[in-house]
Amino acid sequence: MEINHIPILLIALPIVLATLTIILRTRPSFQKNINIVASFVLFVLSIMLLFNVWNNGIIVYEVGEWGKYGILLVADLLGSGMVVLSSLVSLMALIYSLDYMDSKALNTTYYALFNLLVAGLNGTFLTGDIFNMFVFFEILLLSSCGLVVTSGKGGFTKIPDKMEATFKYLMLNMLGSIVMLIAVAALYATVGTLNMADIAVKIAAISAAGALPWHIYVIALLFIIVFGSKAAIFPLHYWLPDVHPSAPSPISAMLSGIMIKVGVYGILRTYYLIFNEALFILQPIIIFLALATIIVGAISAIGQNDVKRLLAYSSVSQIGYIFLGVGMGTAYALAAALVYLVNHAIAKSMLFLASGGIIHHAGTRDMRKMGGMVKTAPVMSGVFLIGAMSIAGLPPMGGFIAKFFLFDAGLLGEYYVPIAIALLFAILTLFYMFRAWLLMFWGEKSDLADYDTFKRHRMSNIMIYPIVLLAALVVILGLYPEPLIALSTSIANELLNPQPYITAVLERSVR
Amino acid sequence: MNSALLSITIALLFGIGTFLILRKDLIKIVIGLSILSHAVNMLIVSTGLFENGKVPIITGEHAEHSSGIVFTDDLANSVLAPVVPESAEMIYVDPLVQALVLTAIVISLATTAFILILAYRIYEEYGTTDISKLRRLWG
Repeated sequence: MEINHIPILLIALPIVLATLTIILRTRPSFQKNINIVASFVLFVLSIMLLFNVWNNGIIVYEVGEWGKYGILLVADLLGSGMVVLSSLVSLMALIYSLDYMDSKALNTTYYALFNLLVAGLNGTFLTGDIFNMFVFFEILLLSSCGLVVTSGKGGFTKIPDKMEATFKYLMLNMLGSIVMLIAVAALYATVGTLNMADIAVKIAAISAAGALPWHIYVIALLFIIVFGSKAAIFPLHYWLPDVHPSAPSPISAMLSGIMIKVGVYGILRTYYLIFNEALFILQPIIIFLALATIIVGAISAIGQNDVKRLLAYSSVSQIGYIFLGVGMGTAYALAAALVYLVNHAIAKSMLFLASGGIIHHAGTRDMRKMGGMVKTAPVMSGVFLIGAMSIAGLPPMGGFIAKFFLFDAGLLGEYYVPIAIALLFAILTLFYMFRAWLLMFWGEKSDLADYDTFKRHRMSNIMIYPIVLLAALVVILGLYPEPLIALSTSIANELLNPQPYITAVLERSVR
Repeated sequence: MNSALLSITIALLFGIGTFLILRKDLIKIVIGLSILSHAVNMLIVSTGLFENGKVPIITGEHAEHSSGIVFTDDLANSVLAPVVPESAEMIYVDPLVQALVLTAIVISLATTAFILILAYRIYEEYGTTDISKLRRLWG
């Protein structure tokens, strides 16, 4: 197989599989096996892609051989790295959901929607065309809406809750995509192209001629609204604590682990490639919004009693730290933001998967009704502790490395006040994560574990393996972070110097 | 003149859509969203519209004559494709934006269908279409 075809395979394979699983919905076990195999194949393919990009440089794939005027898939280090991350989390979430999901939901539409979600994620990370990115955003949005309303075993989330959360989510994201279309149309009217590398060249040319129109800045600000509502940064964060807890746990893991990172990816891609000239205006705005996000998320997380709502608010707070690194914009800070992104994606998806297990074990989502579960659910207590330590930034977990790099980068860049605020709220992170852990696993043993045993769904191995694997990865990223740091540093250098990307796209395809 | 009318129409549609999505009724919100997406579609079409533009079908000798001109990047003279340089005798309407609008229409159809079904299910669960009665989750 030729290596250059991997980008299209990563998108086409899940889409084919989505249609196939709808046809095969009368054969659940076959569906199950083919999905696990295909998800594993996607993971292997994404790692092969990353290694190839690392060794041989950026891979450009022309869809339909239209050259520069058609759609291009561009696998650079950032895109292929994100694809590896999303394939890993989606493989784990898929394995977990085999036992977690209600079999009625699982055998009808779950696999198809899940595969479309994967296709949308891979497409967003790999596309080199800004309108195509919008199309993949819509695939992501619709399939994730369909997945939020599916129900897990036990029915711990009421159907009306799911409806209300999905309505909010869909409504806000439709507004977000309308804003994105306005921004894309304005960009197209200004420079006459949709190819991101081409836009970057033309905006640089216009700027060099001293004729950069003022509305480029407005378009750049519109993209903050678009990607900010995807990533749930401060004024647009309020849908996340409703949607992520309402979704079934594997989908919460996908949403919190990968979906909100799509916003970060979009900001990195558009701002550091296209709006280089406008960055001096945008960076203070991003830093301000990031700090507001950290503060609002951390303060709201303290008062939560629902375990999944707490994790969702913690996601809001943590995405602020990632945007802080993005906003500071030096190579070191960008690398720190990427290390933070990977660590948060793995730790938070692991915590959401574990919270599903905890809820199934305790029979409730309310942390005040849990207690003393360290005896009855020792594995869950261990992995939740690892996750909590990583989110709070304690050594030897991956989160410590991430926070250390971020603060170090901020101090080197002389952003003293933002770093002071971020550090203060990192202490609050420590507080609310350990409050949750103490409430659930220590203290007086609540007898909910024995309540209603004949009806409740027990944790099985198929649910525990993915959680333990991800927890092991969190520890490994803390003890041996050098490969991730090397990768993040080269991604950051690539972002700050987009010339290789532009050269790879334009020189290959002008025919 | 035509483009001024088009701009006013787009602005009005944006206004109506924004007004409607601020109402309390679920169905009015959905209609507002669909009007907003139509406004965006017209906005996209209008970006490819030039004064006295012709239909972008290149036929006969024009194909040979002008195909080299229409898509020319000439950054040194600050000419950006697919804007046509002045020496070309024919001005075409940009066909790409119409392809974009087709995609956007299909997508907005799918999302509108989904949100309408969702609104109906919310009506079934809550017994009301008043958005301010949906208060189980507090954000």
